[in-house]
Amino acid sequence: MSFSLKRIYAIFYKDLKDLMKNMFVLTTVLTPVLFAVLTVQSEPLHFDVHYLIINLVFIMTTVFLQGAIIAEEKEKNTLRGLMMSPATTTEILIGKSGLSVLLTIITLALCIRITGYEFVYANALFLALFLSFILYLAMGTLLGLLARTVVEASLVLMPLMFVFGLGSLLLEIISDYPSLVFLEYLPNFHLQFLVEAVDAGKAFREVTGNLIVIALWMVFVCFLTVMVYRKREVDGK
Amino acid sequence: MENILSVKSLKHVFSKSTAIDNMSFEVQRGEIFGFLGPSGAGKTTTIKILTGQLHPTSGTALLFDVPSTQVNQPKYLKKFGVMTDNSGLYNRLSVYDNLHLYCELYSVENKQKRIDEVLDMVNLMDEKRKVVSKLSKGMLQRVTLARALLHEPELLFLDEPTGALDPANSRHIHHGLQELNRRGTTIFLTTHDMLEAESLCHRVAFLNKGKVQLLDEPSKLRRKYSDDTLTVELVTGEKRILENGPKGAQKLYEYMSSGQVVTLFSNEPTLGDIFVDVTGRSLV
Ligand SMILES: Nc1ncnc2c1ncn2[C@@H]1O[C@H](COP(=O)(O)OP(=O)(O)OP(=O)(O)O)[C@@H](O)[C@H]1O
Ligand SMILES: [Mg+2]
Repeated sequence: MSFSLKRIYAIFYKDLKDLMKNMFVLTTVLTPVLFAVLTVQSEPLHFDVHYLIINLVFIMTTVFLQGAIIAEEKEKNTLRGLMMSPATTTEILIGKSGLSVLLTIITLALCIRITGYEFVYANALFLALFLSFILYLAMGTLLGLLARTVVEASLVLMPLMFVFGLGSLLLEIISDYPSLVFLEYLPNFHLQFLVEAVDAGKAFREVTGNLIVIALWMVFVCFLTVMVYRKREVDGK
Repeated sequence: MENILSVKSLKHVFSKSTAIDNMSFEVQRGEIFGFLGPSGAGKTTTIKILTGQLHPTSGTALLFDVPSTQVNQPKYLKKFGVMTDNSGLYNRLSVYDNLHLYCELYSVENKQKRIDEVLDMVNLMDEKRKVVSKLSKGMLQRVTLARALLHEPELLFLDEPTGALDPANSRHIHHGLQELNRRGTTIFLTTHDMLEAESLCHRVAFLNKGKVQLLDEPSKLRRKYSDDTLTVELVTGEKRILENGPKGAQKLYEYMSSGQVVTLFSNEPTLGDIFVDVTGRSLV
């Protein structure tokens, strides 16, 4: 398959220009930074809180921004133009993810700087973060493809925040309801389990289980996203 | 003549209603083909099927000999352009930025020059740096048209290209489209404006309730449906209808030799008249 960086960059550059004039999305995307500033006022932070913030970045910045810009392409009937152009599905999806990647990295870096979180340098951790990142990008794309408007996409964000953003708080709630135990298979928890394990000095092979759960989620959501995208290509809208 | 588009027994059913019903026709390379029909006739649905945005319920449509369902590959997408109601623009960006993005997507060479050319063709040179959200409806339509022309497609699908335009701009765009056609672009356009169809199209198809009811050159249709009479208007203000034949010729000779004729015109029907005749429905 031929692969045009020029096309990818053109889509990314267009999104960047567009975002600079889109205050609603821009401010939402940067809320995790505000949250980080507020939490750091209190005690030295337990790493639960660090991961609460990291998950928040994934949801508020990665998923929301990605969902919002895809939903807007649909709402304004511009996605069709991209689909009808010679740009391939891969080029379009990568181009449309560029901005979310950039802003996720910026917000994450800002948050970590503010909270003073120190990474344990472990390959497993970086791999887990990378897989999660791709997973959330795909999740945002999926959200954008399913929502009809930007407003709808931001409404769907609320339950997502609850499930993915609450972190260990939700784990405690779950422990009271045995029927909800399947929720422990959510990728954000496995990221957290992995971090705890790595922090405790455990080796790579002891966290492969967590990595596999996250990877399976990533593959599943990516697959679903491409399926929905293909369906959208021939929906006539 | 080579067919650039050929449609066979095409049918499309939305959840309940049949939008396209057993449609067959061909478009030849190099022509301007008009799809004429009232609102809800199935014009937009047809374009969406032909360009691969919808898959037909049954039947086939071939573009460049490729089934429309497989046309969404870069090598074919490069060869045609589309403008329909779902061709949106980026509101917060300028006209130039919108066009520039599409130059990149279609790998257009000489971007600046080409952007100027298409803007000139739709008469929007002055709006080049304007933000899209500040444009009027007719201007938006013209930017969308300009965007569809950027990559000089072999085949151009236009869904009511002059729907929101004033007569002067319509005329300007008609000239542009004719020029484009002379340089080799085949144009498939839909309209419910019979004058547009008449002045622009080499052949027109009448579409009603998803069916092609009639298809021919406008002049042939007019002749075919003409009642073979002339009307003369006399100095007295009276109008006389003359049959085509010795009797009519005799009368006309008398009027003319006595200098009574003010105007003389043939009673060819307009495409609109023929449409009503054939479908029992008016165009708008
Ligand atoms: N997405 C859809 N779902 C259900 N029915 C549809 C859909 N799109 C079009 N139709 C129906 O199909 C028929 C043809 O619609 P189409 O839009 O092709 O007409 P048109 O000739 O383009 O009309 P207009 O001149 O108003 O644009 C109409 O009866 C319409 O209601
Ligand atoms: Mg229509």
